[in-house]
Amino acid sequence: MGSLILEALNVRVEGQGDKFLVFAHGFGTDQSAWQRILPFFTPYYRVILFDLVCAGSVNPDYFNFRRYTNLEAYVDDLLNILDTLGVDRCFYVGHSVSAMIGILASIRRPELFTKLIMIGASPRFLNDKDYHGGFEQEEIESVFVAMEANYEAWVNGFAPLAVGADVPAAVREFSRTLFNMRPDITLFVSRTVFSSDLRGILGLVKVPCCIIQTSKDVSVPASVAKYLKNHLGGKTTVEMLRTEGHLPHLSAPAMLAPVIRRALSR
Amino acid sequence: MASSSMDMAATMNDLPDVILSIIFSSVSDTRARNSLSLVNRKFLALERSTRTSLALRGKARDIYMIPTCFRSVTHLDLSLLSPWGCSDLLSSASSDPFLLAHRLRLAFPLVTSLTVYARSPSTLHILLPQWPNLSHVKLIRWHQRSSSPHLGNDLVPLFEHCQALSSIDLSSFYHWTEDIPPVLHAYPSVSKALKYLDLLTASLTDGFKSEEIQAITAACPSLTKLLLVCIFDPSYFGCVGDETLLAIVANCPKLRVLHLVDRASLGSTRGEPDDDGYTREDAKISKVGLVDFFTGLPLLQELVLDVYQNVRDSALSLEALHSKCPELKLLKLGQFHGICMAIESQLDGVALCSGLVSLTIKNSADLTDMGLIEIGRGCCKLAKFEVEGCKKITMKGMRTMASLLHKTLIEVKISCCKNLNAVASLRSLEPIQGQIERLHLDCVWEGLEEDGGILCFDLNEGLCQSFEHEYGSKRKKSRYSSDPDPSSFCMQSNGNGMFSKSWDRLRYLSLWIGAGVLLTPLPTAGLYDCPNLEEIRIKVEGDCRTGHKPSQREFGLSCLAYYPRLSKMQLDCSDTIGFALTAPSGQMDLTLWERFFLNGIGNLSLYELDYWPPQDRDVNQRSLALPGAGLLAECLTLRKLFIHGTAHEHFITFFLRIPNLRDVQLREDYYPAPENDTCTEMRVGSCWRFEDALNGRQIPD
Repeated sequence: MGSLILEALNVRVEGQGDKFLVFAHGFGTDQSAWQRILPFFTPYYRVILFDLVCAGSVNPDYFNFRRYTNLEAYVDDLLNILDTLGVDRCFYVGHSVSAMIGILASIRRPELFTKLIMIGASPRFLNDKDYHGGFEQEEIESVFVAMEANYEAWVNGFAPLAVGADVPAAVREFSRTLFNMRPDITLFVSRTVFSSDLRGILGLVKVPCCIIQTSKDVSVPASVAKYLKNHLGGKTTVEMLRTEGHLPHLSAPAMLAPVIRRALSR
Repeated sequence: MASSSMDMAATMNDLPDVILSIIFSSVSDTRARNSLSLVNRKFLALERSTRTSLALRGKARDIYMIPTCFRSVTHLDLSLLSPWGCSDLLSSASSDPFLLAHRLRLAFPLVTSLTVYARSPSTLHILLPQWPNLSHVKLIRWHQRSSSPHLGNDLVPLFEHCQALSSIDLSSFYHWTEDIPPVLHAYPSVSKALKYLDLLTASLTDGFKSEEIQAITAACPSLTKLLLVCIFDPSYFGCVGDETLLAIVANCPKLRVLHLVDRASLGSTRGEPDDDGYTREDAKISKVGLVDFFTGLPLLQELVLDVYQNVRDSALSLEALHSKCPELKLLKLGQFHGICMAIESQLDGVALCSGLVSLTIKNSADLTDMGLIEIGRGCCKLAKFEVEGCKKITMKGMRTMASLLHKTLIEVKISCCKNLNAVASLRSLEPIQGQIERLHLDCVWEGLEEDGGILCFDLNEGLCQSFEHEYGSKRKKSRYSSDPDPSSFCMQSNGNGMFSKSWDRLRYLSLWIGAGVLLTPLPTAGLYDCPNLEEIRIKVEGDCRTGHKPSQREFGLSCLAYYPRLSKMQLDCSDTIGFALTAPSGQMDLTLWERFFLNGIGNLSLYELDYWPPQDRDVNQRSLALPGAGLLAECLTLRKLFIHGTAHEHFITFFLRIPNLRDVQLREDYYPAPENDTCTEMRVGSCWRFEDALNGRQIPD
C-alpha cells in the first residue's frame, strides 16, 4: 500500500535540510507547476512533491469515482504519503484546492503540520447571503455546461471542444486549469470543488496559517482572505503579493518565493 | 493448348538472385521493403541482405528484443528509442550496459554510420567502441549541455574510440562553440582525416568566432564539407571578415561544400517584408576579400553565404565566383546587394554563373525585375530558385523569369517579398505550372492592384534587343525542336484569373501563414487542382498575446480536402506565441488558438502528421491541450503521429481511438528540451503505459 501510493502519485523528495516542506498543487496542474519555485527551497529543506490523483500526469485508472467524491479522500492520500515517508512534522504549501486539503488534514492531524501556507485559498467559491465567495450560481453553471458538453463529446468519440475562453471572464482564470484533465475526471472534480463549503470547520484549525493573496485574483476576492483570517482557529497572517493572477507560482515565481520563505521563518 | 502460353511466361522468381538483389537495393520505402520480405523465403533473405539503413523504434527498456535479422545494416539510428531523449540510453535499459552494447554489435556488425541521442558522454564511451570502423556519427541532444567546465568533454569519446572517423554531424547537438577547437586539437590524427563537419547548430547563441574558425580549419585540412554558424556582425569581437575567409581557404583547399551562416539567420522566423532590406552595418567582407576567397576554392560545388549584414556591390565578386569555381552547382546568398546590374542585356554578376542548378537569394535589397530576367537568361540550368525578402521584385519579373527557365525549373520558393503575395506568386508561376514539383509560398491574401493587362515583359522589343537577336538565332537553328517561344509562355493565361492547367507534378507544398489569418482562400487563390500533392508543410507564426481572438472557429485545414492524394502533413505552430495557463485577465490562452488551428483536421485522410504546438515562452512550455488532443484523435486514418512538444497522460490516451495508429512519439526537439524531472508531462511511466496500450492492439496490415 505504502510504496504503491508513492509511485502512483509520482512522489518525489528533493533537496537537503532537516525540515520537511510539502508543495501541493491545485486542480488542473501537476507538481511541475512548482518547478521554478523549487530552487529557492531545495538548499534549505527536504522538499516533498507529489501529484493529486486527478492530475493529467497520473494514470487515469487510479481515479476511483466512488472514492474521490469529496475532499476527505484527497486528505487520506496526503496523509498516506506523509506516513509512508515517515514524516512526523512538516511545513505545507498548498495552492487553491490543495490549501483546503491542507486545512482538513491539519484538523485531523494537528501535530503533523508546523505551519500551513495557503495560496489562492477559498473555503467556498459560491456566493452566499453575507458571504462573497467570488462566483455567482449562473457563472458556475456556465462552467458545468461547458464541461458537460466536453464529457458528452468525449464519451461519444468526438473532440471535446469547450475551452477556458468559452466561459464568462469572471470564472475563466480559475476554470482554465480545470480543462486540463480528462473530461470525465474534470466534470467530477469540478462538482467536488464547487460544492465544497468549509466555512463551518475553519475554527477547528489550530495550526498557524499564512494566507498569500495576489493583488487581483478574480477567483479569490480580497474579502475571502479576510474571512479566512477572521475565522481560522490558529494564528493567521495575510501576506499581499504585488502581482495579479491565480497562479503566482507560474506567473511570478521570483516574487512569490521570498514571501513563502519569510512566512516559513516566522 | 492453353498451357503453352503459361510455360513461356517468366516471373520475378526466375530472375537470377544477383539481379533481384540489385533491384531490392534500390527500394528505399520501408513499407515496400516489408511487403517484399513477406513474399517468400528467398525474397526475405534478399531483402534483409540489402537493407542497409535502420532506425530502431521501441522501448529502450526492451532492447533485449533487438531484431537480429538485419545484419547488413550499415547505417543505424538509435536516436528515436523510447522514451525519446531518455537520459541514459544504456543504464536505464538493463543492469549491464556493456552487455547491451555488445548485443547491439552482434545484431548489427557492419555499422559504419551511427545516429545516437547522447545526453552524456558515458553513453558514447560504452557504445562507440563496439564498431571500430565507424566513419560517420551524428550526435543528437536537445537537452541542455551539462554545465561542466571541461570543454569538449562530450565529444572526447568520439575522437578516442573512432579511429576511422571521417564525418561528424553536430547540427542537432546542444554544445558550446568553445567545445570544438580543444577536442580537435587534442586528437590530431582523427582531425586530420575528417572530411565532413556539420556545425550548423541552432543551439549556439553566438556562432563560431573568427579565431575558432581558424583553429577548426587548421586542425582539419582534409575537409571537403564544412557547415558553420558564425558571426558576421562587425560590432562583435571575432566577427568573420576577410582574414577569416582567407584562413578557411588556406587551411582547407579541398572544400566542395561550404556553408557559412550567420547566427541570426538560423532562426526559423520570417523577416519583415516592409524592411528596406539594408542592415544598419555592413559586413567586414570586401570585394577583394571575396575574390580571393573564391580563388582558393576551385573544387567548390555548393556555397552558402548567409551573411545577415550588407555585402554591397557584389556583382564583380560574383563574376569571379563563376570563373574560379567552375563546378559550382548550388549557391545561396544572404544580404548580398547589387548581385547583378541588369544593364541593357549584358549578363553580369551572378547571372554569369551558368552552371548553377540551385540558387537562393535572400534579402537582396536592390534586386529588381530586370535582375530576375537577367538571372533567368544567364543561369539557364536552374532547377531550384528561391527568393526571400526582396522588396522590389514583382509578378511581372518573376513570371518572365519562370518562362525563361521553363526547361529546367521545378522547385520554387517565394517568401517575404512585399510585391508578391500568394495570388501574385502563383500567377507568376503559371507558365510552368505543369512542371513544378515543390513550391513554397506565403499565405498573404491582401491584394495588390490586379494589373489586368500586361502579365510580363515583352521580350521581343524594348530593353531586350540583343537578347532577341541571340534567341532569334537559336530559334532558327532548332527548327525541329519543340521549344516554344518563351514569350508565348508569358502570354498564356485566361483573362479572368482562373488557371487553366492543373499543378500536375506538384508533390510538396510549403506554406507560411500569420497567426489569425485563415487558410481557406488557398484553393481559390490559384491552387485549386493539385492532383498529385502528397505532402504539405504549414508554418504558422505570430504573437497571440495582443489580446485578439481568431475571427472564425476554424483556421481552414478542411480546405485541404481538395487535394485527393494528401497524406503527409507538418503543422508547425511553434512560433505562435501566447499564454498557456497564466493569461492575464481579458487575454485568451493558447487552448483557444489550438482549437482554431486544428479544427477540421479530422476531415483530411492523413497518414502521417507532425505537429508542433504553440508555445508559452515565459515558461518554456509547448504542450498539447484538451482541444488539440481531441481534434487529433479524430484523424482516423493516421498511422504515424509525432508531437514536437509535451503532452500528459490524460491526453495522449485519446490517441488510442485511432484504429491503425502505429507510431507515436513526443519529441521535444527544440532548445532547451525540458528535463524530465522538472517537466512531468512526459514521464517515462506514462510513455510506456501508452506504448504498451498502443502496441497491444491488433493492426490489420
